[in-house]
Amino acid sequence: MQEEVRSDKSGYMLMNKPGYPRVSSWPNLVWIILLMMLFLTVLLWGVSFLAYAPLEEMAEWAKTPNPAKAPWYFIGLQELLVYFDPWIAGVMLPQQILIGLMLIPYVDITPTEQGNYDFRRRRFAVAYFTFGILFWFALIVVGQLLRGPSWQVYWPIIDYDLGGNTWTREGVPLKEGGAELKSFPLGVGLALLIGFSTIGMVLPLIVTRMFPKSEKVKELDKYLKELGYIRYFIVQSHVLMMVGTLGKIVLRLGFNVKYIIETPWFKI
Amino acid sequence: MEHNQQKQSPLKKTLDFIFALITNNPIYKSIFRVGYPNTLLKRMAVMRSSFYMHIFPTKVGEHGLKLRYSWCMGGITFFLFLLLTLTGILLMFYYVPEEHRAFQDMKDLRFMVPFGVILRNMHRWAAHGMVLAVMLHMMRVFYTGSYKAPRQMNWVVGVFLLLLTLLLSFTGYLLPWDQLGFWAVTVGTNMASATPLMGYEGPFHELLGVQIDNDIRFAIIGGTRIGANALVRAYVWHCVGLPLIATLLMVLHFWRIRKDGFSGPL
Repeated sequence: MQEEVRSDKSGYMLMNKPGYPRVSSWPNLVWIILLMMLFLTVLLWGVSFLAYAPLEEMAEWAKTPNPAKAPWYFIGLQELLVYFDPWIAGVMLPQQILIGLMLIPYVDITPTEQGNYDFRRRRFAVAYFTFGILFWFALIVVGQLLRGPSWQVYWPIIDYDLGGNTWTREGVPLKEGGAELKSFPLGVGLALLIGFSTIGMVLPLIVTRMFPKSEKVKELDKYLKELGYIRYFIVQSHVLMMVGTLGKIVLRLGFNVKYIIETPWFKI
Repeated sequence: MEHNQQKQSPLKKTLDFIFALITNNPIYKSIFRVGYPNTLLKRMAVMRSSFYMHIFPTKVGEHGLKLRYSWCMGGITFFLFLLLTLTGILLMFYYVPEEHRAFQDMKDLRFMVPFGVILRNMHRWAAHGMVLAVMLHMMRVFYTGSYKAPRQMNWVVGVFLLLLTLLLSFTGYLLPWDQLGFWAVTVGTNMASATPLMGYEGPFHELLGVQIDNDIRFAIIGGTRIGANALVRAYVWHCVGLPLIATLLMVLHFWRIRKDGFSGPL
C-alpha cells in the first residue's frame, strides 16, 4: 500500500525498504522521549524559580503606556506599521504569509529531496524560506529590543523607564520621525508598482531569452516548464510580495517615502 | 541469552528478584498487556498493544532518532502543550475572568496561593517556549523537505496548529488584566479594525456600512474597546475553544504522520 503511494515520481523511500537500518522504538525512541520530558520539566522548573512571569499594574483604559507593544511573536507585524498602513501590515501580509506557508508543498516540485539537510537541489526554496524567516525575526528583534517611546529607535541597554513613562492620552498620535515624509504622485506610484510587478513576473523569461546558451539557464528553463504557469504565478507573486515589503522599508528609511500609492480610499 | 551462563553477582540476583516481584504478578499483568519488553517480539508488541505507546511506530529509521535530524521539536511542542494544560487547569482553580477580580487573583497567585508563583511562571514560560518550539519545528520540517509527498496535507494542518498556538498565547496574554496584556491585546485587536471591507478603519468599509460598533473587531472583542466582554471571550477561547480545536488538529496531525510515514532518505 505505502509503496504504491511512493512509486510515482518520487520513487521508493529508502527508509521503507527492507534492509534499511531500523531499530525497535522500545527502548530506542521511548528513552529519548522520557529523557526529553524530564529535561524539559526540570528546565522549566529552574527557569520558573529564577524568573518571574511579568505582571504590571492593573489594566487601566485611561493610561496608555508609551510604547504599547504587542506580544513578541506579533511585534514584527507591529514594526511593519512604521512602513505600511494597518490593513497591509496587520491583515494582508499575515494572511499572505499563512496562505503562502500552506501552499509550499503544492508548489514545490522536487519530491525526491527529503529526509536530509541536503540543499543542493533545492537552493531557491531554501534561500527564499530562510530569507523570510530571517526577515520575520529581524523585525521582531527591532520591534522588541530597539523601539522605545513613540516607537523611536533606542538601544536596548538604555532604560527609558528611568526617564519616567510618558503616558499619552487616547487618540494622541505617536510622534513621527524627524524628516518630513513625502508620497509619490499617483501616476508615478502606479507606474512604479505596475512596473515592479510586471518586470518581476517576466524576469525569468527575460533571463532565459538573454542567455539561451548557458547551461544554468537551460536548467532554469526546464524547471520553469515543469513548474507550469499557475505554480509559477503563486511562487513569484509571494517572492515579489516579500521583495516589495523590503523595498518599501528601503524607500521609507532611505528616501522618506510615506506612500507609493495614495488614494482617498486606500494607501500603499 | 549469554549472560545466563555467566556467574551472577549478588546485586544482580537481588535486582532480578525485585524485578520479578514487580512484573510477575496478576496486577502488573492486568495493567501491562505484554510482559516486560526484554525480547524483540515483546518490544514490538508493547508498542502496538499499549494505549500510550500506540501513537509511536514499532520501528523507526536510525537517522530519524538523531537529535541533529529532528531537533525533537515536535515532541517538545506537544509536551509543552500537555504541561500548559496541566498548569492551566490548576490556574483555573484560582482565577476568575472578571474585570475587577482578575488582577487581584493574579496578586493572590503571587502572594497567597501555595506554589502559585511557580504555577504561573511555569505556565508563562512554557507558553513562550511552545511558540518558539512550534516555529522551530516548522523550520526543521521545511529544511528536511518533510512536507513533500505524501505529507503535504499534514504540513497544512501544521500551519493551522502554528496559528492556533499563536492565538492561544495571544488570548492568554489578556487574562492577567495588567497593563502589559491589556495594551498588547489592544494593539493586536486594533489591527482587525483595518481589515478591508470588514473593519471600521479598513479600506472600503463604507460600502458595507461598517462602523466601530458592528465591524469584525467588535465581533472579536465584544465591544468597542477591550473590556469585561473581551476578558470573558479571551478566557473561553483560551481555556475551552482553542484547546479543543488544537487537540482535534493534533490528533489528526499525529495520525497522519503515522499513516504517511516519517520522512526519510529516498
